[in-house]
Amino acid sequence: MSDQWTGRLSEYLDGELSPEDRGALESHLRGCVACGAVLADLKRIVARARGLEDRLPERDLWPGIAARIGASSGETPAIDLARARARRRWSFSLPQLAAAAVALMTLSGATVWLLHPAPPAAVVAGPAAPASAGSGAPAIAVSSRRPGSADQSYAAAVSDLERVLEQGRGRLDSTTVRVIERNLATIDSAIAQAQRALAADSASVYLNSHLAETMQRKLDLLRQAAALVSSVS
Amino acid sequence: MTPPGTGVATLEHQAPGRTDPDAVDATLAASGDAHAFERLYRTHLGRISGLARRMMGDEDTDDVIQDVFVRAWQKLATFRGESAFGTWLHRLAINVILGRRETLGIRRQRHLDGDTALEALPGRRTTPEISMDFETAIEQLPDGARQVFVLHDVEGYRHEEIAEMLGLATGTSKSQLHRARMALRRHLER
Repeated sequence: MSDQWTGRLSEYLDGELSPEDRGALESHLRGCVACGAVLADLKRIVARARGLEDRLPERDLWPGIAARIGASSGETPAIDLARARARRRWSFSLPQLAAAAVALMTLSGATVWLLHPAPPAAVVAGPAAPASAGSGAPAIAVSSRRPGSADQSYAAAVSDLERVLEQGRGRLDSTTVRVIERNLATIDSAIAQAQRALAADSASVYLNSHLAETMQRKLDLLRQAAALVSSVS
Repeated sequence: MTPPGTGVATLEHQAPGRTDPDAVDATLAASGDAHAFERLYRTHLGRISGLARRMMGDEDTDDVIQDVFVRAWQKLATFRGESAFGTWLHRLAINVILGRRETLGIRRQRHLDGDTALEALPGRRTTPEISMDFETAIEQLPDGARQVFVLHDVEGYRHEEIAEMLGLATGTSKSQLHRARMALRRHLER
């Protein structure tokens, strides 16, 4: 079964032979049934390896990780923003600094929201159409989402903020605009995904909470982006 | 970084202009948001767990997985967005796993006997156990061959990348891969 070509069948399979060697091996394969059989087996093994599925641990490892990173209580850990800024300051490229700035502002908004959570109503909305940071944006705290005026207020707030951003985008640095747009696209994708999941399981507390959190994140990002526009006007 | 050479599509390298679905959570986590980091953990746990189990065997795997995510938390500030977060995490995981394996080297000498451990395994079964049988066969491969096989055929890295990670010559990576495949073939054809 083994000949001078057997040891090179993996390279052949992986496309790593030179054209000359490849041609010679293919010529050999036409007359060597044994090498052909080995090659077929190797193909099956590679295909099986590619098809292996992810393997989850038998137990949830998050509690141990959370304890080691200082988040064992299950609540949002205290965030040292000064430390976070300093860490980014030394570690990120210019485009990433722009992203970090937006993210940190988003985080600030989210932190404010976390520190002053809305009542556990289905959807709690504040005044619509805030045009700058610090104005009352709807706070989303959903345990069981229902369509209604709060959703409309949220949509109106998002729409107004998007208009502010659109009108002022020419005054922002192009890198910042790209970062904002990329993050908004990501958040929109996450919202759509959550909404699709909720369509199949509308009672899921996790999904409702995740959707609310994601919607809140979009609102925060838009609000801070609008504030950026205002600051350069 | 270019896509793996064998067409194994398990690694998702960041293409220019492509949106990383983890970008927001990675940014938030780097700022200290443990909830965002937990979402990243849950998103990537299966892949990291699979990698660790195949590289390590079941021994100590849970500890290693935890180490990977703790290290990721500590290193998040060095994530520069030049690749997808998942790709960055995967490379970090490999470094942690290889580091742990070095400390376990003595205990694992029994696997350095070549293909003898594989010979001791029962032969191929028919489905549905066949996938687990294949996993077991991989675990029984000699260490060097297993590392290369997992990184190349399961995870999709190129020989040049594997050689760099493991400190091998590219030719050694290729020969170890062939050795692993042939050992698995001998096992699975029984």
